[in-house]
Amino acid sequence: MTAPLTTIEKRIRLSGLLLIAGLLVELITLRWSHPTSFLFFLLLGGLLMALGIVVYLLTLVSAENKSSAR
Amino acid sequence: MEGTATILIAVILFSIVLIAWLVLRPSVTATRGGKILAFVALLVFPVLAGGLGVNEQIQHSKTTRFCLSCHVMEDYGKSLRVDDRSFVPAIHFQNNLVPRDKACFTCHTDYTMFGDYNAKLRGLKHVYAYYLGKPSQPIKLYTPYNNRECLHCHLGARSFEESEAHTKDPQVMAKMKVNEVGCTTSGCHSITHNVGQLKEFSIWKEPTE
Repeated sequence: MTAPLTTIEKRIRLSGLLLIAGLLVELITLRWSHPTSFLFFLLLGGLLMALGIVVYLLTLVSAENKSSAR
Repeated sequence: MEGTATILIAVILFSIVLIAWLVLRPSVTATRGGKILAFVALLVFPVLAGGLGVNEQIQHSKTTRFCLSCHVMEDYGKSLRVDDRSFVPAIHFQNNLVPRDKACFTCHTDYTMFGDYNAKLRGLKHVYAYYLGKPSQPIKLYTPYNNRECLHCHLGARSFEESEAHTKDPQVMAKMKVNEVGCTTSGCHSITHNVGQLKEFSIWKEPTE
C-alpha cells in the first residue's frame, strides 16, 4: 500500500500536470502553421505553463514557511 | 529554423519526461537531489522551452505560408504569381528579389528599431479582426506604404540610383528618399497586389524539381 501524498507532493503533481499540458500545447502548435496556432500557443500554452510555474513557486514558498515556523 | 525547431522539440520532450517522472514519484522531492531535479524540471526547462517556443513562433509567423494560411489572404498569395511584369510584388517574388519563403514579411515589416514587434502587434490585430471583427474588403494598409521599406534593399543599388526615371529630375530622388514622393503612389510602381484584376492575367506556375 502506498503512503498518502503530502500537500507539497500534491502541489508538485499539480504543477507538473499543468506544465505537461502547456508543453503539449506548445508541441502541437509548433507543427501547425496558422495564426490560430500562435494564439493557442500564447493564450492556452502560456497560461498553463505560467500556472504550473506559479504553483511550483508557491509550493517552494509554503515549504520554506513551514520549515521556518518549525 | 529547422535546427532550432529540432532543439526545441528535444527540450520539450525531455522536459515532459522529467516532469512525468516527478508527477509519478513526487516523493523524490523530499531529498536534496529531488529538490534540484524539481527546480530544473518545473522551472528551468519550462522557462527555456517557453522562450524558445516564442522565438520559434515568431520566426514561423514570418513565413509566406503562415500569412497565406488565412482565407482572406488567398488572392494576395495569387498576386505573387501573376505572369505580368508590371505587378511589383510578383516581379519581386518570381525573381527572388525577396526570399520566397518570407515574401510577405520582407515587404510588410517596418525597417525601424521596433519594426518586427510592430508587425507582430498588427498581426494580432488581424487575428482579432479575422475571428471577432470583420476584415475590411479589400484589405487596406493601416498607413500608406513607406518608401523606407523599398529603400531598405534598393538604396545604393545601381539599378535604382542610375535609373533614368529616378535621375531625370534631381528633386525626385531626394524626395523619394524622404518619402515625399511615394514609390507606389506616384504612378510609377502603382500596380501592387491589385487583387480585383487577377482574373485578367495568367498565373505563373513555379517549376517543380
